[in-house]
Amino acid sequence: MLTDSQPSIDIPVPQKTIIKLEHIYKIYGAGDAEVIALDNVNLEINQGEYCAIMGASGSGKSTVMNMIGCLDRPSSGQYYLDGEDVANLSEAALAKTRNLKIGFVFQQYHLLSQLSAIENVMLPMVYAGIKGNERVDRAADALKRVGMGHRLKNKPNEMSGGQQQRVAIARAIVNQPVLLLADEPTGALDSHTTREVIDLFTELNQGGITVVIVTHELDVGRATRRIVWFRDGQVIHNNLSPQDLSLVAAS
Amino acid sequence: MDIVESLKMAGKTITANKLRSGLTMLGIIIGNASVIAMVGVGQGAKIYAESQFQSLGTNVLFILPGTDNARRNTIAPPNRLILADAEAIATQVPSVDKVAPQLNGSELATYRNNAKRASLIGTTPEYSPVRNADVKQGRFITADDVKRNARVVTLGSSISKDLFGNGEAIGQQIRIRNISFEVIGIMDEKGAFLGANQDDTVFMPFSTMTSRIIGRTSPYGVAVQVITLSAKDNTNVETAKFQITNLLRLRHRNTSSASDEVTFTVRTQKDALEIVGNITNALTLLLAAIAAISLVVGGIGIMNIMLVSVTERTSEIGLRKAVGASQSDILTQFLIEAVILSVAGGLIGTGVGVSGILIVGTFTPLKAGVSMGAITLAVGVSGAIGLFFGVVPAKQAAKLDPIVALRSA
Repeated sequence: MLTDSQPSIDIPVPQKTIIKLEHIYKIYGAGDAEVIALDNVNLEINQGEYCAIMGASGSGKSTVMNMIGCLDRPSSGQYYLDGEDVANLSEAALAKTRNLKIGFVFQQYHLLSQLSAIENVMLPMVYAGIKGNERVDRAADALKRVGMGHRLKNKPNEMSGGQQQRVAIARAIVNQPVLLLADEPTGALDSHTTREVIDLFTELNQGGITVVIVTHELDVGRATRRIVWFRDGQVIHNNLSPQDLSLVAAS
Repeated sequence: MDIVESLKMAGKTITANKLRSGLTMLGIIIGNASVIAMVGVGQGAKIYAESQFQSLGTNVLFILPGTDNARRNTIAPPNRLILADAEAIATQVPSVDKVAPQLNGSELATYRNNAKRASLIGTTPEYSPVRNADVKQGRFITADDVKRNARVVTLGSSISKDLFGNGEAIGQQIRIRNISFEVIGIMDEKGAFLGANQDDTVFMPFSTMTSRIIGRTSPYGVAVQVITLSAKDNTNVETAKFQITNLLRLRHRNTSSASDEVTFTVRTQKDALEIVGNITNALTLLLAAIAAISLVVGGIGIMNIMLVSVTERTSEIGLRKAVGASQSDILTQFLIEAVILSVAGGLIGTGVGVSGILIVGTFTPLKAGVSMGAITLAVGVSGAIGLFFGVVPAKQAAKLDPIVALRSA
């Protein structure tokens, strides 16, 4: 009886670390042509965070995104994804990690033109070995969740850019990844659609999904709750609040 | 990812771009169709040649002057096979039934304003039963005609038509080398036999041919070009061959066993069938080899288009890798696409080839066999070619760096 009348108290639970980069270096070329793309990057992102990785062109934000997305291996350093050391996994194991733990969203949507919306969303489950009705049901659910439940059978060329990006987001979340990783997800969209897509990310984050967006758009960065600022392959600001963004961007 | 998923995915890709898939398959289709058709035609030729020989009857033997080796290696050796040999065989070899000596020639035959080059055969009445050559109208040469050197001819069906049209031929006079011959009969149609059309042949008595047309051609007597004879019953053919060989060796004094001193060759229908079989098998092999080249070219076509397709689909490959496809998944997908294209091409090509065989069978006497062996082989080979030529593009696709691939869109 007592508990009912009392206001609930938020008890901070220890948060699980999803991404842990330790002393990550990425070096291209050798000798005089050596380019240090990532220079001793240390970064932790916890479960449930809504984070933007920002910086100027050539700052290393794309390289770090490829690293986080298990598309690339570091030259040296440790990377723990969801507690697992993935820096030195084999090609096949990396593919499996991408399949089950990461959902990618790209600037150009990257939907397969010969497949319908639902078939595109089913693609990660094909590689995960999920079959039959479960595959169809989960794909339909994911599409409903991004507001595309009415366009299951449409091909990409029958949809607007915003709709295609929604389908791509459905594809990214359908395998229930620990991380939703978006690379300039609004780069090809107008400002109105950008707003809608960002709202969708916010909504998904509120639903518990960890979201990391790589972007150079300040508006997009402001919508998140934490900004990691890169310059010359290094993390300059590890936890910038959206309010301070303009100051940093201007500098 | 299992094979069913891979098949479905490949099917989707192939049907998504029908024109390109069709063009990719075209080479294999043509290659396969030509293999099937060529082998079929080759076999048809074999069957046809064999049936021609079989129509002669299994108890037939041929005696030819000289040997195969001598004919190949020397310039016109004197012909020692003479009419007297034929007569000796007829009277002295017990297993022989009928003997027909034969002289060949080629002369212009004319009737009024019609002229036609005809092959000439001088022979005896036995020719008709031994060679299964029947008379349609009138009569064949008789023993009496041979005895009297009669100037009479029996015409093959088409030469008769060429000279007389639909008019009455029997009783008319035709001219060969400015000598008149009376037409006494017309033969049944027989068709071409190993290149010589028997329907274009003019038959005349052996004696008439030697005295009026050819004359003495050998220092040993009246030379003959072929002696065709029939053995008394079917089981006796080898015996007859043995006895004839002995008799002729004695007569020609070929007592040495060295084969190149032998002045004649005895051939049974079986020997002849073997020779024809060898020729047609070689022909079939040649045709199949030519056709196989186009199959390989088709395979290269598949590789070519698949390579272009890998470049074109770079971003698709990158995306698939990003959502969890491993190198082996991509490799499998592209290999399966190549194999599906080539096997489908193989099956379509087989259909085309079989239709071709049926068409050839309808319009020519070559009743070509549709050989299951050739079909299985051709489709199997297409699949293997798809696999072989698919490896390079598939490996290229599998090795694509997903970062680079994704950026390419």
